[in-house]
Amino acid sequence: MNSMEMFKFRIRRYKPGAIDPPRFETFEVAVGQDRSASILDCLEQIRLNQDPTLMYRHSCHHGSCGTCACQINGTPRLACTTKLSQLSADPLIIEPLEGFDCIADLVVNMDDFFKDIDCKWSYLQTDQSADAPPPPGGITTWSRLEDCIECGCCVSACPAVQVNSAFMGPAALTAVHRQYRKFRQQRERLLAIAGGHRGVKGCHRALVCSKVCPTRVYPARHIDELRRQLKTPSST
Amino acid sequence: MEHIIIIGGGIGGALAHDLTLRGFRVTLVEKGELLSGASGRHHGLLHSGARYVLHDLKAARECAEENGILRRIAPDALELNDGLFVALNDADMALWDRFDEKCHEAGIIHTQLTASQTLALEPELVPTLKGAFRVCDAVMDAWRLPLQFFATALSNGARIRTFTEVISIQTSGRSIVGVEVVDHRFNRVETIGSDLVVNAAGPWAAKVAAMVGLKIPLRTVPGVMVSVPARLNRMVINRLHPAGEGDIIVPQRNLSIMGTTAWMAEDPDSVQIPRGHVTRLFELGKQLIPRIRQYAPHAVWHACRPLLDVGPEQDPMRISRTSDCLDHAERDDLEGFVTVLGGKATTMRAMAEQTADLICRNTGRDRHCRTRKAALKPYRAYYEYH
Ligand SMILES: Cc1cc2nc3c(=O)[nH]c(=O)nc-3n(C[C@H](O)[C@H](O)[C@H](O)COP(=O)(O)OP(=O)(O)OC[C@H]3O[C@@H](n4cnc5c(N)ncnc54)[C@H](O)[C@@H]3O)c2cc1C
Ligand code: SF4
Ligand code: SF4
Ligand code: FES
Repeated sequence: MNSMEMFKFRIRRYKPGAIDPPRFETFEVAVGQDRSASILDCLEQIRLNQDPTLMYRHSCHHGSCGTCACQINGTPRLACTTKLSQLSADPLIIEPLEGFDCIADLVVNMDDFFKDIDCKWSYLQTDQSADAPPPPGGITTWSRLEDCIECGCCVSACPAVQVNSAFMGPAALTAVHRQYRKFRQQRERLLAIAGGHRGVKGCHRALVCSKVCPTRVYPARHIDELRRQLKTPSST
Repeated sequence: MEHIIIIGGGIGGALAHDLTLRGFRVTLVEKGELLSGASGRHHGLLHSGARYVLHDLKAARECAEENGILRRIAPDALELNDGLFVALNDADMALWDRFDEKCHEAGIIHTQLTASQTLALEPELVPTLKGAFRVCDAVMDAWRLPLQFFATALSNGARIRTFTEVISIQTSGRSIVGVEVVDHRFNRVETIGSDLVVNAAGPWAAKVAAMVGLKIPLRTVPGVMVSVPARLNRMVINRLHPAGEGDIIVPQRNLSIMGTTAWMAEDPDSVQIPRGHVTRLFELGKQLIPRIRQYAPHAVWHACRPLLDVGPEQDPMRISRTSDCLDHAERDDLEGFVTVLGGKATTMRAMAEQTADLICRNTGRDRHCRTRKAALKPYRAYYEYH
C-alpha cells in the first residue's frame, strides 16, 4: 500500500502586468509515500487540480527533450527526472532557471541559449560503447542522438557566464567540440570560435557545469579538450 | 489567402507546415509548451509498420510509407538502427509465416534472422529466443523531430502561439468565425478571427468539439512508459506476437524505454497511472531483456492516445491506429471547422496532408502537397524564427 503524504511547494509566480512584481505562492500536493513522484508530476497536479494558470515547460517527461529545467531548492535540475525521494527540504522551492529571462512563472526564454549553437550542427553521434557488436549489413555505424538535451542547467549554474556576458558558456562550447570531433573539414573554423574572445578563455574551470548536467555530458571535459586542441591541434 | 487557426501543437505542427507551403495564412495556438500532449512523450518509435501488420494493415502501410519520408526530410532527429521482432516461444513462432506474408503485403522490407544471428546483434536479449525479423523501425527524438515542422512553418510565415488556450469557438449562424483564447502569459483573454479552424487537440479534441456542441468519435486510450538509466539495446526490440502490452523496448540515448499499457479513459486531464502497471512493464520487459529488471525506473510517465473510434473493437490495443479528418460542414452543417483525429506520431505528416487536401477542396484552392519532398529546417531554427 502506498498511502499519501502532503508536500508543500513554494513556486515563484510572475506574469507581466498580472502577477507583477513576482511573488511566491504555496501549494500542497498529495503524493504516494514512496515519494517516487517527480517534481513535474507535482506541477501537473497543481495545474490540473488547483491552478490552471500555472505555466511551466514540459514535453517528454523522461529527461530527453530538455524543456523542464528549473531551480529546485536553488539548484538547476530537470523537473521530470527529479523525484521527491531525492529532496529533503520542506517546503520545496521551485523557481525559473536562473540566468535566463523569465517569460512567465517557470517559463524562461531559451533564444540566447541557442545563439551560439549553429542550427545546422549535427545532433547525431556514433555509438561508442565498447561492447557493441558490429552493425548488420545496411547500417554503417550504430547511431545515437546526442546526450546533450540543451536544457540550460549548465549555463544557469556557471559562475563565469554570470559575470561575463560575452562568454558563450558550457553548452555552446560543448556543441563546438562535438562538431569539431565529427567534421574534420570544419576544424579550423571551430577552433577559431573556441579560441575567440567569447570562447574557452571565459571559463574559470569551476566545474559546476559538469556537476549539474542531468545527462552526464561533462561540459567541462569538452572545454578542456578544446583547450588542448587549441594548443596542439591533433591530426586524428 | 484564407487565414486558418490550428488548435493544438502536436501533429498541428506538421499541418502548419503543409498549409503554409500551400500558401495559406496560419496561426497555431497551443495551450502549453509545444508538444506537451501525446506528441512529445511517446516512446519515440518511428514505426516501420510491422507492429500493425497482423491486425491493422492500413495503419501498417501508412507507417511504412511515412517512415521512408521522415528519414528523407528529417534525418538528424533519428537513430537509424532498425528494429527486431523477436519470437520468444512456439506460440510466437506459429505467427512467423503470417508475419512474413503480411509484411510483404504492406510493403515492409524485412529479413529473417536465426536465433544466433539475433543474439549476435543484440546480446542482451533472452538467450532462449527462437528467431527474429529485422525491419526498418527507428528511434525519433519526440521533441526535436516534430520541432522541425514548427521551425519550417515559422520560417514560411506561420504564427505560433504557445501558452495560448482556446476557451471558446466563435460562430456566426452555422459558420465558424474565430476563437477566443486566454494568453496564459498575461492571463489575458482575446479573440482571433479566422476563415477556418482545425481542431488538432488530440486527446482533448472532444472537449474542443464540445465548445460548438459537437460529438466526435474519439477514444482516449492512455498508456504507461518506464525508462531505465541504461541502454541495453541498440535496435528497437518488439515482441513477435499480436500487439499487446509491454512488448516494446525502445533504446534512446543512454536509456531503454519500456512500453506500454493501454486502458480506456474519459478525461485526459484526470488520468492517474494505475497501480501495478510499472511492475507489469518490468515483468514483460524482462522476458525480452532479462537484465532490465536490475534497474530502478529512471522515469515513469503516461501519454494519452487520441484514437479514432471506428467499428466495434473494444480491445484498446487493437483499435485501429488509422486517422481521419472530419469535415464538420458536411457532417454537422457547421462551415469552417475540421477535426483531425487518430494516427501515430509516425504518421503526422500524412495526417497533415490529408487535412490540407480537405481544406483545399473546401476552399476551392488547387494547391498540391509538397511536404513529401521538402527537407525540413533544423529544429534549432525554431529559436531563430519565433
Ligand atoms: C503510450 C503511448 C505511446 C505511443 N508511442 C508512439 C510511438 O512510439 N510512435 C508513434 O509514432 N506514436 C506513438 N504514440 C501515438 C502518438 O503519441 C499520438 O498518436 C500523437 O502524438 C497524437 O498527436 P496529436 O497531435 O493528435 O495529439 P497531441 O500531441 O496530444 O496534441 C494535441 C495538443 O493540443 C493541445 N490542446 C488541447 N486543447 C487545447 C486548447 N483548448 N487550446 C489550445 N491547445 C489545446 C494540447 O495541449 C496538445 O499539445 C503513442 C501514444 C501513447 C499514448
Ligand atoms: S567549468 Fe567553465 S563553463 Fe563550466 S561552470 Fe565552470 S566556468 Fe562555467
Ligand atoms: S551539457 Fe548537460 S546541462 Fe548543459 S545543456 Fe547539455 S544536457 Fe543540459
Ligand atoms: S520534460 Fe523533457 S526533459 Fe523534462
